[in-house]
Amino acid sequence: MYLQDKPLLMIKFLVKRLLLTVPTFIALMFVTFVAIRLVPGDPVEVRTGERGISAERLAYFRHELGLDQPVWKQFVDYVWQLLHGDFGTSLSTSEKVLTEFFTLFPATLELALAGMLFSIIIGIPAGIVAAVKRGSWFDHTLMGAAVTGFSMPIFWWGLLLIMLVSEGWGLTPVSGRIDMIKFYFEPVTGFMLIDSLLSDQKGAFLSALHHLVLPMIVLGTYPLAVIARMTRSSMLEVLSEDYVRTARAKGLSEFRVISLHALRNALIPVLTVVGLQVGSLLAGAVLTETIFSWPGVGKWLIESIARRDYPALQGGILLISSLVIIVNVLVDVLYGAINPRIRHAG
Amino acid sequence: MMKTRLKWAAGIGAAAMLLSISAASAKTLVYCSEGSPENFTPAINTTGTSFDAARPVYDKLVQFERGSTKVVPGLAESWTVSDEGKTITFKLRKGVKFHSGVNNFKPSRDFNADDVVWSFNRQWKEDHPYAKVSGGKYDYFNDMDMPALLASVEKTDDSTIVMKLNEPNMPILANLAMDFAAIGSAEYADTLLKAGKPEQFDQIPVGTGPFSFVAYQKDAAIRFKANKGYWGEKALVDDLVFAITPDPTARLAKLRAGECHFMIAPRPADLEEMKKDPALNVINQSGLNIAYWAFNVQKPPFDKKEVRQAFNMAIDKAAIIKDVYLGTGTAAKNLIPPTLWSYNDAVKDYPFDSAKAKAMLTAAGVTSLDIDLWYMPVQRPYNPNAKRIAEMMQADLAKVGVNAKLVTFEWGEYRKRAQQGEHMTAQLGWTGDNGDPDNFFFLRGCSAARPGGQNLTKWCNEDYSNKLNKAKASADMAERTKLYEEMQVIEHEEAPDMKIAHSIVYEAMRKEVVGFKQSPLGSHEFQGVDVK
Repeated sequence: MYLQDKPLLMIKFLVKRLLLTVPTFIALMFVTFVAIRLVPGDPVEVRTGERGISAERLAYFRHELGLDQPVWKQFVDYVWQLLHGDFGTSLSTSEKVLTEFFTLFPATLELALAGMLFSIIIGIPAGIVAAVKRGSWFDHTLMGAAVTGFSMPIFWWGLLLIMLVSEGWGLTPVSGRIDMIKFYFEPVTGFMLIDSLLSDQKGAFLSALHHLVLPMIVLGTYPLAVIARMTRSSMLEVLSEDYVRTARAKGLSEFRVISLHALRNALIPVLTVVGLQVGSLLAGAVLTETIFSWPGVGKWLIESIARRDYPALQGGILLISSLVIIVNVLVDVLYGAINPRIRHAG
Repeated sequence: MMKTRLKWAAGIGAAAMLLSISAASAKTLVYCSEGSPENFTPAINTTGTSFDAARPVYDKLVQFERGSTKVVPGLAESWTVSDEGKTITFKLRKGVKFHSGVNNFKPSRDFNADDVVWSFNRQWKEDHPYAKVSGGKYDYFNDMDMPALLASVEKTDDSTIVMKLNEPNMPILANLAMDFAAIGSAEYADTLLKAGKPEQFDQIPVGTGPFSFVAYQKDAAIRFKANKGYWGEKALVDDLVFAITPDPTARLAKLRAGECHFMIAPRPADLEEMKKDPALNVINQSGLNIAYWAFNVQKPPFDKKEVRQAFNMAIDKAAIIKDVYLGTGTAAKNLIPPTLWSYNDAVKDYPFDSAKAKAMLTAAGVTSLDIDLWYMPVQRPYNPNAKRIAEMMQADLAKVGVNAKLVTFEWGEYRKRAQQGEHMTAQLGWTGDNGDPDNFFFLRGCSAARPGGQNLTKWCNEDYSNKLNKAKASADMAERTKLYEEMQVIEHEEAPDMKIAHSIVYEAMRKEVVGFKQSPLGSHEFQGVDVK
């Protein structure tokens, strides 16, 4: 009976979760749309310097861009456009917003994935060890480091690492995605690690990897701290549960107790935290990309604000937010798969 | 079998060696630039970043000599002025080739007069097939008043262009050397239009310049390669790469690590240390700009010359330069910076003298005065912190019995209101466009003093304005120079404003870079630059 219900329940759960995101999307669209219009200066005027612009030319361009319409009308038009899959055209480059976004997005994704991987690979084992050896010097050092990592301003951390590791010790390149003097190839996937392999140029992959190290560490530091702390506390909780005591009583090796019985349960809250980090990774990418001249969407969005490039900004924020929402839904689903209680409750 | 293999191996080895030799001898210059270009057509751009990115590709009819504001022949070999300064006839250079192979375009003909007419008409005529491509905003063409100045631009034969003006105007030659006047290929434009991809004209540029475009990876890098058959000063490196690096600290780190050879805009705080670095070469020059504090002469007591002079003496300019500009500015005494021709160095700046200022104000019947002091809400190239300057002025003014209220608005609003003349006193400034003194001095002319005009002082001096107009119409450099020098004396005496500063622009490069010439216009050009 239960087994037959399982897929149906899962679908019901998923549909419900997806429906819940609709109001979020609408609110998001509205907030981005209005917020950017509240910032003083419009896309036409922001281009002009001391000279200013004549009233006729200003009126002409505002009309061309539809900015002379009432804001509610502009919003309705925008939503209508979106429903047709059109994100509009960038005001500064005249390119399609969607094209621009997906040209740059692989760089951000590559960096975010690397940062995530870095934080998980180091954060989870570190958290486990700290929990198992609770109160040891390792535990204290790790938790101290986590607090530091937690509160470290990315900009400062990035510049510090550049000065120390790149400039001082010469261990890594300062910025960019590959050695531009030695290597040049047309992007295929937009992921430098993959493209450098496809390029067949000797040393290109290593150069790309080498360039990724520092930005990865900078971006991964915050989630690393969060994940390590979460793993530790979740692990501590689980280790005091009865079933762990039972497992130990059965005479299982400590390794099996921790890796099979404790860890599987301890990872559930960690998973949620990892999912939530997607948002902070993307937010961190904005700064990391600026410091490391990493050509991703974060840097692009910052520039779009300065240029009052409404379509680029609205489209970019919407696409990134969608991504965060989707990841969170996926995490919920995964969570449900790991922990059936949630599915039933939902 | 063995033999063939050996032969193959030997062949591959030799090829590899050849390759490695050619790779080793290919010279690349990497320029750490500060941002991404909007596109590669200067006519539709407004930022120095975008102009720098398109400049390697394009030529203009006339151009600025590298490292100066002198207008020299470009695609036009020579020109003659006739019809009392209302007609300019350009003789075009023959045998100039457009870059071949970019975006698979193979030019079938050399550059000629059609390309010139095409390039101007795109910005000028609404029925031009490219008028609306990529947004169709031709800011500079309009800002430089080209529609009002030009009567016609016509081709009389393949190598002659006749430009008719509505009135004599010699500064227009300097306008033609500006980036917006870059000449593109009409044939390339037609090819793209037929293919239904006109917007590529602005994204994948084809020109006649010292470098040809290779690729642009958005927000990462722009690549160019040397145009070996270039007619003018040639590129000395094989490849030119713009490594887009927005953060100045990262730019410096890259420069130090040898990841780039040249960087734009170092941070003022880094300059001292950079100058000490034996691997680097730091150069500077005053920027083509001015920061000033305008007194609205239509609002008493600023209608009195003595009051304006007293205000000039009341402010400790040296303190402003020291505390606000932090070594990136030099005190200004004339409207134009010292790098411009006709700069009158004989003019002596007003001394800082609170006591004398106070005495002059009393003599003029001003004992207690409330004024408003406007400051820009944004940082400008010539003014790093208008608010801080306003506060320092406020403190100095209090010492001479003047109570200044600080006022500001959103930047667009600020400009509009100040141009309308709503202020009593307002800070602003100017960045020159074309290196012609007229491009600065018009700021104090009568026609700019109308409500909504650029002359924030609303000062209209007949003598000054007559000289301004006379200089504009004259093709005689010596005469123009003399007139501009005289105008600087008048302006100093009349003191419609207080000149604050010209910025100092720094450029940094590695020691192995030779041949770079800093441009007073703030542009970056890499033909003639080598990496030793």
